[in-house]
This record gives sequence, structure tokens and C-alpha cells, in this order.
Amino acid sequence: MQRGGRLTLLVLWLATLALLAVFVLQNLRVSTDLRSFMPAPTTPDQQLLMEQVGEGPGSRLLLLAISGKPDEQLASLSQQLAASLRKDDSYTQVLNGSFDITALDSSLLPYRYLLSPTLDHQRLDAPYLRDELQQRLEDLSSPAGSLLKGLLPRDPTLEVLKLAERWAPARSPELIEGVWFSKNHEALLLVMTRAPGFDPDAQNAAISGIQRMFDALPGHEGATLAFSGPGYFSVVANAQTRGQAEWIGRISTIGFVVLLLLAYRSIGSLLLSALPIASSALAGIAALVMLFPQVHGITLAFGFTLLGVAQEYPIRVLSHRRAGEDAVQSVRDLWPLLLTAIASACIAYLAFYASGVNGLKQLAVFTVTGLLVAGFSTRYLLPYLLPVRVHDVADMRWLIRARQWVDALPRPRWIPMVVAVATVVMLAFAQGPFWQNDLSALTPLPKDLLQRDASLREALGAPDVRYLLVLDAPSEQGVLELSERLEPAVDALVARHAADAIELPSRYLPSASVQRARQERLPEPAALNKALAQAQQDMPFQHDLFVPFLDDVERARTLPLLTPARFAVSPLGQRLSAMLVQRDTHWLGLGTLSGVHDVAALQSLAQQSGGAVRLLDLKGAAESLVVDYRARILHALLAATLLLVVAITVALRSLRRAWHVLAPMTLATFLVLAVERVAGVEVSLFHLVALILAAGLGLHYALFFERDTGDAAEQRRTLHATLVCVLSALLVFGMLAWSSIPVLRAIGLTVSLGVAFHFCLSILMAPHARQD
Amino acid sequence: MLLGGLILSLCANASAPEDAVTARALVSSLGRPAPARTPFAEARFMKMLDEPLVVSGQLAWLGDDRLERRVEHPNREVSTIANGEVTQQREGREPRTFSLKRAPQLQILLDSFVALLGGDASRLEQAFTVQHSANNAKRWTLTLTPRDAKLARSVSHIEIDGSGNEPRCMRMQEADGDLSIDLLGELAAKMPAAPTREALVALCQGG
Repeated sequence: MQRGGRLTLLVLWLATLALLAVFVLQNLRVSTDLRSFMPAPTTPDQQLLMEQVGEGPGSRLLLLAISGKPDEQLASLSQQLAASLRKDDSYTQVLNGSFDITALDSSLLPYRYLLSPTLDHQRLDAPYLRDELQQRLEDLSSPAGSLLKGLLPRDPTLEVLKLAERWAPARSPELIEGVWFSKNHEALLLVMTRAPGFDPDAQNAAISGIQRMFDALPGHEGATLAFSGPGYFSVVANAQTRGQAEWIGRISTIGFVVLLLLAYRSIGSLLLSALPIASSALAGIAALVMLFPQVHGITLAFGFTLLGVAQEYPIRVLSHRRAGEDAVQSVRDLWPLLLTAIASACIAYLAFYASGVNGLKQLAVFTVTGLLVAGFSTRYLLPYLLPVRVHDVADMRWLIRARQWVDALPRPRWIPMVVAVATVVMLAFAQGPFWQNDLSALTPLPKDLLQRDASLREALGAPDVRYLLVLDAPSEQGVLELSERLEPAVDALVARHAADAIELPSRYLPSASVQRARQERLPEPAALNKALAQAQQDMPFQHDLFVPFLDDVERARTLPLLTPARFAVSPLGQRLSAMLVQRDTHWLGLGTLSGVHDVAALQSLAQQSGGAVRLLDLKGAAESLVVDYRARILHALLAATLLLVVAITVALRSLRRAWHVLAPMTLATFLVLAVERVAGVEVSLFHLVALILAAGLGLHYALFFERDTGDAAEQRRTLHATLVCVLSALLVFGMLAWSSIPVLRAIGLTVSLGVAFHFCLSILMAPHARQD
Repeated sequence: MLLGGLILSLCANASAPEDAVTARALVSSLGRPAPARTPFAEARFMKMLDEPLVVSGQLAWLGDDRLERRVEHPNREVSTIANGEVTQQREGREPRTFSLKRAPQLQILLDSFVALLGGDASRLEQAFTVQHSANNAKRWTLTLTPRDAKLARSVSHIEIDGSGNEPRCMRMQEADGDLSIDLLGELAAKMPAAPTREALVALCQGG
């Protein structure tokens, strides 16, 4: 091709890439919500899990601790921070222990007689009122007297305080200067975010919002604000993984560039060979942007990993260049094999599409588009740009010796048998569970963070994130009634220390029938007036002092009953709303548990309910979800394997040749699995994805080694290309294998091992060994 | 109205304020070692009540910022102030605890009492502006106005009447017009059956 033509092509290609990049940057919406990467829930528990993971009260709770200053200043900081947070709409609930009479909106204040249990065992008659008033007199003469002065005319029986006590966290921390303090002298706060708990980006925004408010407080210097809770952890885990992946990525990129420069000694070739990869990544993302409203962050991470296969295409072309031969001609010779490789990788990745999981479908679209673009641009664009003059790697002396050594290796027929038996034995005798179902084990948090969370959670009596009590009833009111019936049994469990605290929906709102019963027990104005007059006899209270009380009782008698919807105008009502979930034709109530000590006792409570109450183990549900997920991937892989066999057989037009390609690949894949199992590794989803990538690379090695060109120089070029590919893969994934984060280590170790095994087995099982 | 007249009459009775040195010397002379205990009888005049509430018992300074108010009549109750917390115990009830911040009256009681019983004039001046007036050679009145604006919103001032180096009375004037008068020491036994503001003020200053 003419110089000018080459330049035009290059400019056009770069311009297309630039356009794609602009399109992608403008339209890409990355979602970090883990749920969109999860399979559609199939059981009710899984469905609840998916909702609770994001929206549940447990997962949206942040635990805050302020430390580093004298108690008094910390208390004031806690008050100021709580005040700023309450003004911000991103936080639905802020608790710091300070008594908040406004918890009950003043418009809802008359409802206190329907909300408080007082009327269940008491009537507002003369003896009761007299006793209460007598106590108020004592209160007034006590140091606390002035606290009550404002409340007394409206609420002589102190229902508001009874409700405040009822709604206070069951186990609250020590109060110092009116706010919660831990034993280590930290001021404690509980903040409920509006953002879902397992959306690291949204949580990050919520957390940095709190930090900003704290930094804006006067006198915050010298004090430190510490966070804990699921949302914070997802942020930490994310940042940690991203941080390590980034620096490892930088180092391995440098290594990769050096390796390619050493292998081809041409900066031009190196830069040009990056074009198909760049095209494939951009085209992949562009396809996602066009097909899906949001692209998941994990799709991109996995996708870039899996696109590693495409790196091989330009490398093969570069290695197979012959001195003096036109690059186009070299590629044309290589194309049938390359096409087989591309097609088989596409088939394998297509399997993800069949999984039915949105995130995996995205992954399939991304990788298949990417592979096709990488392959076809390597075939139809790259050769026209490559420099004409190259030096043929086949003449390199070390390569000639290496090929001779490789060819001279003994290739006994029993090698596959021995490897297969060894693999089976290793798999059979490996200790420990085979599958790792706990996804959180892959992004572990520093121990001190977890300990800190446990101690804060205990101090604050914050709900456990693992267990939920699920109450099932046909209606919202049914849930509240069920919750009321459950209260005695639940109180008994707490008394027996099966759990530190159990919070049921009826704690915040009694059912309509209970409210109605209480309403009916409220006396008529005349009767109440008479009872009050009788009660006040010989007491120093001014005779018309309690008019606001009489008014409130009268209002409470005629109020429409408080429904969750009506209650939702107040913060407490919001708290209740989070505990009530509509599910098609019925309603679920969610009871939160704090400090679970005896799971069996809780389970037996659920069993005695005859199905209306269940103890939901969110961890168990999450694990069952992972198991489902894996089953789908495995099924898809099985289908892909069958397709692959067919495709390779058709492409090579020989069952025997297909065997020579597929046997080493299969054997090496299982060998990796066996070695990892013997080393005590529990297999996770990430291992599976890594195994698939390794298998894709292994397929290339086997395909190229199997190719019988009858030309020793071409064999040497194959070895060169394969060596470059193996080394670059080992470099990139070997680095990951050293990561301290298990998820990166899982991918790195599996691919590195895989590449090594695939390489060795495809050489040892290659069908021919020709001497020069 | 009644109250305004009362204060006016008080001011009329008072001789010209002495200088701060006299006040300091007086406060220093009041000091005694902890624990210091004194009987008390308190009458609380409140707007919402037709008659004052009367209780009696013992006040004790336990050293540092710890104060105990033990009521023996008409009902038993013990309130303890320590570490910025108030704990209230009544017979047959769960103890109640709340922050001192929420009870400004108590904060003032603590500040004045600890400073007086500790003979700590500078502490007293930190919390209050102190006005000293002498009725005659032995009788004196200290008027303490809280410096803290938040405290001043609920307690306008506190007056301590004494004779020699013995405080006899403590009168706490709340901003909403309510008044509590504590008779201290020997005077505690002299609480009338139906106290009035005037009678008690007269008792505090004369008797």
C-alpha cells in the first residue's frame, strides 16, 4: 500500500476510535449497584435479599464515632453534626441519643393515646389521674421539675415520654452530656442513608457528605470522625480493590510494553498492535451503551480481563511476519486459524449470554463484540499499516535452539493419562469445601475495621445485618396484628438472651384494631372533666391548667386511625415504612434483630408460627443466590463446550485434529482446578471466569501448535508468538497473583497457572515433532 | 407584680454594694471541707400551682462536682449530680438519668453550691456575676446572675442570704416567674406549714 494510503487509513482509524471514545464518554452510565450483577431472584428469600441488600434498614445504616477531644466538646460536635444531617434530605434518620420530643410531629401528638399501651390496662378515670397527678407533683418538686413544666398542661400522664422510652433503641449506649458515648469516650451517632447500602458510589457520596458537614463544624479540629457499617465497608472494599488493581495494572503495562519491544524491536509495530485492542474495548463499550441503559462496573472489570485473549491476535500477526513478505499475505495465511480461534472464544463467551443474568449478558455482548472487532481489525486493517520491512523472528538463534529443544522433548502417549489420573486424584483428595459461596470473603476487610464495627454495633444496639424476622400476612394491618401477637414471645426471647433486641413493626405503630380499642376507652369530655376535677381535689394545680389535655383527648377520640401512610410524614413513620414491604397480593413485615446469640431459638419461634413468620438469614440467601449463579454459569459452559467441540471439528474438518486441540485444553483446565483445590483454594465465581479466560488462551496455543505447516521456520514463528503470548499473560496475571486481595489473587493465580499448564500440555500433546 | 415589688423592697433594704474584695473574702470564709452536709427545706412557688410545693431533706457536697439532694419528706427521693449527669431515685421506681444540660436549675445549683461550699470565689465569678450587699454587720446577700446566656434564659438569678459565715437561704428566681426558696441549716426546721413568698423572704433576711 502507498505511503499516503497508509496514512489516510491510520488517520481514519484513529478518527473512528476518537468518535467512538466521545460517544462512549458521553453515554456511558456505570452502575456500581451489586444487585444488577446478580441473577434474578427465584425464591422469596432471595427476592427479599435483593431488596434488603439495597434498601433494608440494616444495610443503609452508618455507625459514626467522634473521638479525640474532651467529652463536652465531642457532645457538642455530635449535636451540631446531627443538626446538619437532619437538614439534609440524603439522610432519612439521624440518632445521637439526645431526647427528641419532635420525634412525634406536633400534628401527630394527639395520637399518643392510640400509640401508647397505657390505655390497654388503664382508663383515664379519677383514681388513675389522681395517682398520675400525685406523681407529677413529686416530679415538680424534684430537680427534674423544670423539664416537665412545658409538657404538663398538655400531657399530665406523660404519654409522650412513655412513647419516647418505647421508641428509644432497646439497648442504648451511655449518655454523657445528653448524647450517646461509647466506653472509649467516643460520641456515637446512627445515620440512615437514603442511598442503597451496597451501591458503593452512592454510599461514597453519602459518607463524604457527612465528612464535609463535620469538617464545616466550628471546633472540629483535633476531633476525628470514624465510620462503620455495610455501606462504608462496600466503599472501603471497592477503593481497596480498585487501588491495588490500578497499581498492579500500571506495573504490568510497563512490563508488557518492554516485553513487546524486546520481542519485535519496533516501536511502530508496538503502537500499531495496540490499535485492535483499543478498537475492541471501545467497540465493546459502545455496544453496551447502545443496548443497555446502564453498564455495570463489574461487567467492565471482567470484560477487560476476558478481552486479554484479543491481545493475541496482533501478536500472532507480528510473530508470523516473514522477511520480505507483505504483512497482508502473512495475515491471509494465518487467518483460517485465527478465525477459528476468534470463533471459539466468541462461542465460549456467548455462553454468558444464556445465563439470563443482566450483568453476564452485558459481559457477553462486551466480549463478543470486542473479540470480533479485534479479530477483524487485525485481519483487515492492521496489516495495511504495518511497516513493510521487518526482521523475521524465525532466524533468531535462540529461537532455533528453543524450537529444537521443544521438538526433542519426549512425548510419550501416556502423558495425558498420567495427568488425567493425577488430576482426578488431586480433586478427590483435596480438603475443605469445593465452592466458595461467600462473596464477601473475596474482598475481606481489615480485621480492625470489623472489630470496630462489632463493638460500635454492640454499643449502639444497632441491628444485625445478617438476620431478619419476616412476618407474612395478607394486608398491612395483618402484618401489624401478627407483629402484636408475636410481641410476648419475642420479649421472652430477649429476656432469655436469644438476641439483645428484636424490633417489630408494631413497636412503632399498633394495628388499627388495637388503636380502635384504645380510642374506645378514651372517656367522653364530660366524663373526663369530672374525673379530672375529682382527681385534682386538694391538689395545688390550677383548675384550668389541664385544658390542653382535655382538648387533646377529645381530638384523639375522633381522629381517623393512624395508618402507615399517614404516619410516614414523620421520621418514625419513615422508619416504619422501611419495615413494611408489599409483595403482590400480600405484605411482609421485617423485624430487625440486634446481637443474635441463639439462632436456633429464633428459628423455633418461626416454626411455631406455622409459616407466618420466618427467620431470614441474609447470608444464607446470598449464598444460595451465588450457588444459583454458578449453576447458570456452569450450564452455560457445558453448552459452550459442546458447541466448541462441534465448531473446532468443523473448522479443522477432522475429529482427530479436534481432539489434539481440545484434549490439552480440557486437561489443563482441570489440572488448574485440581492444583488450586489441593492448595486449599475454594472455587469462587471469579475463579470460574479466570478459568474460562485461561481456556480461551490455551485453545490458541493448542490450535497453533497443532497446525502442521510442514515448515520449520513457521513452526519457530509459532513458538515465538506463543512464547510472547504466554510471557505477556504471565506478566499481567502473575502480578495480580501477588495481590493481597483475594479476588485479584483468584483471577491472577488461576490465569497464570492456566497459561503455564496450557502451554506445557499443548506442546507435549502436539501431534507432530519434526526435526529440522 | 408581687415579685417585682419584692425585688424592689430587697434593693431598698440593701445598703450600697460592697466592692468585689469583700465578696471574695466572704465567699472564701464560707468554704468547708467536703463532704459538707446541710439540712434543707424547699418551697417552690409555681405559676401552675395554687400552693407552693414543700419538700425537706439534706443537701450534700461530696467533693468535686458531686452533689446529692436527699429528700425525706413528703416522699423519699435521692438526686445525685456527678459527671454532668443527674440520677434520680425514688422508692419503688427505676432510677432515672438525664443530662445536666437539660436541667439548667441543677447546673446553677451545682455551680453556686460547689463554689460556695468550696469557698472558691473565682469559680463563682466564672459562672456568675456576683453582687454583694450587706444588710447589717452580720447579714449579707449575694446575688448571682448566670453568665451563660442559655442558663440565664431559664434562671434569671439566685440570691443567697447568710449570716456570718453561714448561708441561711437560697432563692432561685426562674425566668418564667417561678421561684424556689431553700432554707438551709438550722433555718430548715423553721419552714412554715403554709409558706408564702413574703414570709420566707422575711425569714431569710430577718429572723
